[in-house]
Amino acid sequence: MGAGKHETYTLTVSIPLLLTLVDAGVRLGSTTVLRNLSLELAQGEVLGIEGPNGAGKSTLLRVCATLLPLDIGSGTVFDADLGSPGAQSVRPEIGLLAHQPALYDELTLRENLSFYARLLGCRQGRVDELLEGVGLSAAADRRADQTSQGMLRRVDLARLLLMEPRLLLLDEPHAGLDSAAEKLIAAVVADVIAREGAAIIVAHDTSRLADVTTRRLRLERGGLT
Amino acid sequence: MKTRYVLSLLALAALGYGFYLSGQHPPDAVQGEYVRIINVHVPASWVAFAAFGGTLLGSLGWLATRRRRFDAFAAASAEVGVFFTALSLLSGMIWGQVTWGIAWDWGDARMASTALMFFIYLGYMGLRRGMPDETERAKRSAVIGVLGFLTVPLSYFSVNLFRSLHQTQSVRPDGWQIESGEIVTSMLINVAAYTLVYLVFVTWRTSQGMVPDHPELGSDLAGDAVVAPSLGGRDE
Amino acid sequence: MTFWKAAAVIMRKDLTVEGRSGEVLWITIPFGLIALFLIPLALPLDNPLLQRIAGPMYWVILLLFGMTIALRQSATGTTPQREALRMLGVDAAARFTGRVLATTLLSLAFALVLAPATVVLFDANLPSGWPLLIPIVMAVTLGLGIVGTVAAELTRGLRTRTALAPLLVAPLAAPLLVAAAQATESLSRGDSILLPALIIAFTVLGLAVIGVLTAGPLEETQ
Repeated sequence: MGAGKHETYTLTVSIPLLLTLVDAGVRLGSTTVLRNLSLELAQGEVLGIEGPNGAGKSTLLRVCATLLPLDIGSGTVFDADLGSPGAQSVRPEIGLLAHQPALYDELTLRENLSFYARLLGCRQGRVDELLEGVGLSAAADRRADQTSQGMLRRVDLARLLLMEPRLLLLDEPHAGLDSAAEKLIAAVVADVIAREGAAIIVAHDTSRLADVTTRRLRLERGGLT
Repeated sequence: MKTRYVLSLLALAALGYGFYLSGQHPPDAVQGEYVRIINVHVPASWVAFAAFGGTLLGSLGWLATRRRRFDAFAAASAEVGVFFTALSLLSGMIWGQVTWGIAWDWGDARMASTALMFFIYLGYMGLRRGMPDETERAKRSAVIGVLGFLTVPLSYFSVNLFRSLHQTQSVRPDGWQIESGEIVTSMLINVAAYTLVYLVFVTWRTSQGMVPDHPELGSDLAGDAVVAPSLGGRDE
Repeated sequence: MTFWKAAAVIMRKDLTVEGRSGEVLWITIPFGLIALFLIPLALPLDNPLLQRIAGPMYWVILLLFGMTIALRQSATGTTPQREALRMLGVDAAARFTGRVLATTLLSLAFALVLAPATVVLFDANLPSGWPLLIPIVMAVTLGLGIVGTVAAELTRGLRTRTALAPLLVAPLAAPLLVAAAQATESLSRGDSILLPALIIAFTVLGLAVIGVLTAGPLEETQ
């Protein structure tokens, strides 16, 4: 090299995409819920999606969770084609928090978590650790139908932590949670990111998630802006 | 279209000829004129069971391929089949009443299993109603289409077993044979005619069922139905 | 997690939930007993007639009221609960099997309560060799459990579920009913029950195979 000459090198870092949607469309009955929707979610990203009622936010999450097929377009999650039955194999990597908790009214909070722990092959000690972690040790033996929505939401979050997912899909996670418990959301998200995962959080108003999200989009009229 | 038109004409002609033969053949030595009901009952029974088999094949086809044509065929076959099953039961009851004095013979395994098949058809059609989602409708009907088919022969065998072990009085004389070749010919022509009618109706209903409930993704978006509330004066 | 382990976990959960809700113990069983009670009330006083129909009435009541056990509220499951199980990757056939086993055990409890009630109310004479009916009862309740669970799945989310599900179950369970009644009759005559037992076994096997094979397609939409 001659004096004064500078070589420029470009370093390209490829960040794996955990989720992609290309021109995705979903119809439920006679109504179009999502259309022309394209999205990429990279490892380490926390995407906040906000939108009005009926915009299709919950439907989008269920598509990403492989629970709902696409009627048009294509997509991948963990490199599995969303249109193929093989997409079901990646479900254990995905943690979905729905509007309503996936808990059984007649079981206690501990029994609910233990049920999922047994199916996951987790040790029972982990259940007690998580109940402690979400601040519900004292209420662990209370039946689910005798607890508040906020408490159930905490247990549902604990259920997700049991799974140790790499893709987190949260539907209105703040609903029913007090401000002390809201930091749970951040903790759960941080846990997933630490395991080289990503998250999508859906809410009417994602401004509360400003500290957690790395990117925010708006879902309106079936498409993302 | 042309094929269906030709098929319809053939079916009509066959029905007419079958009806003519029904009136022409001699009465039976045992049953007299009442034997003419055989020209309705046997063909209807044959089509009822064939249609049930059609529903089974369509259901299996859909489960294997997820193609709409199989679901449309299964449903069409069930719709046509339920009519012929009802006709089979009704004609059987009339035949029993006028010939042997009793409308329903509990010793007859065929009547019992035909009646069960009728209820399975009704359940199948009841299941399809009120399910707007095409895929869910096809999927659930396919399962009942397969499950239902399993139980009909099993019911036949179990009722037959009950009858044979008990030797309870069956009102129909055992071993009644059709003596006249003309009655057999008439019956077979009617079987062919009813089969053609089945094919005409099933192809017609299948082609109707092939039209998707909902066209491709349209402009009626779910979100458009929700607007900012006027109460409270707050913007969305 | 193996197939049978997952099925056992789900069965245990279903039984615990039902034990706490008490729908089978406090509603289904009394309902069946009342039905059993009403039949002799509707008949003229005729003990030989009652004794004659005791066996068949037992099986009819078991079928008609036993199917409500599969359709009980606690077995239905909400959408989030079902989706959570799907997301765990638990095999649909294992989930189906777990639900069937729970329903079968509850139906068996119903059958065991109904049996002495039938003997008493209908003044029935137990046939010698009546212990042979025990495996018959177990097989019939298993068949009912399979059919009922499938019907519950087929009618999930439908407004007409309450009437439609029994309409689906009843004809499908008919071979079980006839063969079971035949077995009872044969036993009281001192005849062999091999043939009806074979029909029941074959029916249950066929239902089980179809139920397990269609469990996955019924859950998934692709």
